[in-house]
Amino acid sequence: MEYLLVLLVILPLLGAIIGAFVSEGAARIWALMVALAQVVCGIALAAGFDYSAAGDLLAPALAASRVFAIPDIGFSFALNVNAVSMWLTLMTIVLSFVAIWFSFGSIKDRQKEFYAWMLVLMGAMIGVFLARDLLLFYIFFELTLIPMYFIIGIWGGPQKRYAAIKFFLFTFSGSMFTLAGVIYLGIFAGSFSYADVFYYCQHVATAPERFLLLVAMLCGFAVKVPLFPVHTWLPLAHTEAPTGGSVILASVLLKLGTYGILAIALPVGIVGLERSTEVVGAFLYWPITMPGFIKFMGILCVIGILYGALVAWVQQDIKKLVAYSSVSHLGFCVLGLMALNASGMQGSVLYMINHGINTGAMFLVIGMIYDRYHTRDIHELSGLAARMPILAFFWIYFTMASIGLPGTNGFVSEFLSILGAFTSDSLGIIYGVFAAIGVLLGAIYMLHMAAKVIWGPLKATVKHAPGHEDDSGHHAVPGDLNGREIAILVPLALAVFLLGWFPQPVMQSMKGPLDALTSTATYANPDIARATPAPTLPNPVQVAQAEQP
Amino acid sequence: MTDLLSLILPELILGGAALLLLFMGIGKSVATRKSAAAIALLALIAAFVAAARHASALHGGATLADRYDAIRLYEFGQYFKLLVCAVGILLVLLAWPSSSDAQGNPSLRFGTEASEFLGLMLLSLTGILLTASANDMVLLFLAIELVSLPTYIMVAISRPTAVAQEAAIKYFFIGAMAAAVMLFGFSYLYGTTGTTSLYAFAQMIKENGAIGALNSWQMLAVMAVLLGLTYKIAAFPMHFYAGDVYQGAATPVTAFLAFVPKTAGFVAIIKILFAITAGTWIAPTQIVNLLWIIAALTMTIGNVLGLLQFNIKRLLAYSSIAHSGYMLVGLTALLYAHYAPSLHSSQVANVQNDALRGVLFYLAAYGIANVAAFGVLSLLPAAGAQSPGSSAETLDDVAGTGRSHPILGLTMAVACFSLIGLPLTVGFFGKLFLIVPAWKAQLGGLVIITVINAAISAGYYLRIVGTMFLRPAATVIPSASATSQPPRRAPLAIAVSITLAVLAVLALGIIFPTTQALSHLASRSTALEGSTANALLSTAATPDH
Repeated sequence: MEYLLVLLVILPLLGAIIGAFVSEGAARIWALMVALAQVVCGIALAAGFDYSAAGDLLAPALAASRVFAIPDIGFSFALNVNAVSMWLTLMTIVLSFVAIWFSFGSIKDRQKEFYAWMLVLMGAMIGVFLARDLLLFYIFFELTLIPMYFIIGIWGGPQKRYAAIKFFLFTFSGSMFTLAGVIYLGIFAGSFSYADVFYYCQHVATAPERFLLLVAMLCGFAVKVPLFPVHTWLPLAHTEAPTGGSVILASVLLKLGTYGILAIALPVGIVGLERSTEVVGAFLYWPITMPGFIKFMGILCVIGILYGALVAWVQQDIKKLVAYSSVSHLGFCVLGLMALNASGMQGSVLYMINHGINTGAMFLVIGMIYDRYHTRDIHELSGLAARMPILAFFWIYFTMASIGLPGTNGFVSEFLSILGAFTSDSLGIIYGVFAAIGVLLGAIYMLHMAAKVIWGPLKATVKHAPGHEDDSGHHAVPGDLNGREIAILVPLALAVFLLGWFPQPVMQSMKGPLDALTSTATYANPDIARATPAPTLPNPVQVAQAEQP
Repeated sequence: MTDLLSLILPELILGGAALLLLFMGIGKSVATRKSAAAIALLALIAAFVAAARHASALHGGATLADRYDAIRLYEFGQYFKLLVCAVGILLVLLAWPSSSDAQGNPSLRFGTEASEFLGLMLLSLTGILLTASANDMVLLFLAIELVSLPTYIMVAISRPTAVAQEAAIKYFFIGAMAAAVMLFGFSYLYGTTGTTSLYAFAQMIKENGAIGALNSWQMLAVMAVLLGLTYKIAAFPMHFYAGDVYQGAATPVTAFLAFVPKTAGFVAIIKILFAITAGTWIAPTQIVNLLWIIAALTMTIGNVLGLLQFNIKRLLAYSSIAHSGYMLVGLTALLYAHYAPSLHSSQVANVQNDALRGVLFYLAAYGIANVAAFGVLSLLPAAGAQSPGSSAETLDDVAGTGRSHPILGLTMAVACFSLIGLPLTVGFFGKLFLIVPAWKAQLGGLVIITVINAAISAGYYLRIVGTMFLRPAATVIPSASATSQPPRRAPLAIAVSITLAVLAVLALGIIFPTTQALSHLASRSTALEGSTANALLSTAATPDH
């Protein structure tokens, strides 16, 4: 198990380095092989995982941490896994595999570099989910920027340079504040390990200190998610990135932000805080209390949900439409986290996985359309159902999942997130109401697009952009999906079905780690907390001393 | 006498080699020029070995001094000597006369003055080594000027263009003014105590119970000395020459300017601060506040002006200013630790150690990445008709080179990412080791300014990377492109230098045990305060007045 985790992180990074030495033609096969090996590792991980264990974030690190460490500053290469990070890792592996395989058809130049960057990205993203050391988390978190910068900037659309630089600068600027907070925690907690850091926050730090740290963490994570006022990099980056990049960007990179909020920002800033109106900070002369701040975050989420949906409604470019829908959807996801109760959190984590699958699939289908028609304009595409029935099937299927139709995976997570907001002590009914309006708007804009693109009169707009020939050369009339494309979409469609009808096993397995968060969140459940005192975490310093002979 | 000679053995080796090279400059044959570079390289290696032997002899806090206490060796200076010799080797390789007539290389054109050029380079490096050994204000001043004086000539002869001459003149006049101001400060320090020995000065401060409280003449003197030294490290308010001079000099010389005087300046600043605080690092609050302001302004000015540049050498000049600012954050933490309101007194020494380690580590991190960045720049051809010995200067020159020269492009990307401070490069740990003591010393405001600056700096470093990889090559007039095509193979020496630098950047960022080793080396060299300082002070020679 231990070495499996190291392998999951190191294998793609090594694969990228080796991939730089294989020939240009073999690069994509090599990348796919590495991704396939990752899939095998992922299956082994899921098979060997102890689903009964609570598996909170404080589980001890593994042996490799002793080899790669800088004891001077309390840093170690610590990896471990709990149910939440395992499901997110599996999602990352599957979508990376799919994105690499899809790129066979759409990436024609500088292939070696492209697949090397994809593999680096894969390793870094998995590292974020598996890290159990705050600095290591940050290192992987930042490492995702470099490959994505090149993927957007080299293989992207017409505005690729601007999009790439905007993406990099937005996320980097935000995460510099996170870095300051991370270093602060590492110093005062004694080491960067999650156990030490969270112990420090929940038992030593003062409330205003925790609030500032929470803000520092949110600076980086909110840009990555992205929440409402700092979302402007997202539509551009998603639209300009090549399809493979868009898939990774929407499915996994955004989840690094929500995972950061769940796994880092909540334990650092909120978990274990007594429900109180104690003033923890000030904005100009307005005092800030923790309940007030959480409501403020909730408002940002709701604005993001409604604003993203309304802007998506008026988009001409279908890729941009899906990009704005991500702004809206991620609002639900963070709203569920801010609800700070069991259903909200469960819904939110499920949302991370489901949004990854659904939006990834949407971008793939859009890529398949674009490879054939070289346009994404909603007015130039029409009546695809007549010519491409298989594509139309998948399109409608994933649209329904994205809307959250009962029976698809989107329904479960959306329902739970909104339920969480309704029943939350920290938010309230009004947040749930507005979020539900967002669901309605989501149905409107998605169906609006589907109706225009899939049905309606058939238009035969075929642009042959140079360098964009599809697999079998020029076709006067583009054909339906080929075998590779169907094989790419089928696993995602299966996941939509399974998670829609049988979410219980996944939710059950995540109960442990999420309960570890919410049960110690006296803030969230004051009654429960008073009845059963929060489990006191062992002080790692004392434990370490006790272990000394 | 033999005692003194063994103490300054590395300096003697370098200085002797420098004189030999200057003498060899009389001979004008190609063979002489070619052998000059080899001699310079051998001398640096020998000096490195000699310094390493000293370092191992001094391990554990021992100290060696000559009869007059003008030269005093302890672990602190040894780190700088090793670092300077190592980076000096890379810099000599960058300046290797590899053209067929040995009159220069793709980016450097010193004509027949190869021996003189390399001799001056060694003299300048000798100056740093002496700065690290000096325990006497007069010697310290002479050593710092020995660092700078050869660089004025190096800028002037580095390429036969008017901009190089202009840069040299500008550099010289402002440098002369800074030196005068600094010497003025030293004279007041002497005037108030009657001694030129730094340790005697420190002892006097200590015995008079004047720790943390200098009289107003001494304050004036320290301000003047600091002002002079901000010129060396290219920090506010003496930073403004950097843009013109770095742009005017040939690229390998710019790499030299960005590292060597800066290192000498930081050695000198730390020595002066050590003396005026009697090794306790408790300075008057005015000086602490001054450093805070200088650090914040230097970072911000460097980075904001960097954003406005389109000439890469100028851009890297402003980035060099910004990096001085980051290191000044470490120095501010060093002095502020004592005043940090809720820092337990037992922790203060710890924080001071960390702060000094951060500065030392960052100098190494900056030096290596700097060599890689300028090395790549020196190999890339300039677009259009250019004078001999010129390499890429503007962003347009490097457009699309990431594609035509993938290895150079990746190297530049790694160097830029390290200078930004992205993870898996040494620059990340450099920033980390500076922010850690700043947090510990409760300099929250300065930390925030630092991270904002790091984010701003990403803007212009990314512009370099983006231009190389994401922009198509600029259309070049066909006739000009024929002459400005790069050599198919980079000169071996430059290639070796860049390779070593980029490998070091990556190894120190990825293989954590090596990071740990460098940080150990740096933190061992910071053992200046507490018991070590007391031991040093008790053995310091009494002032001979």
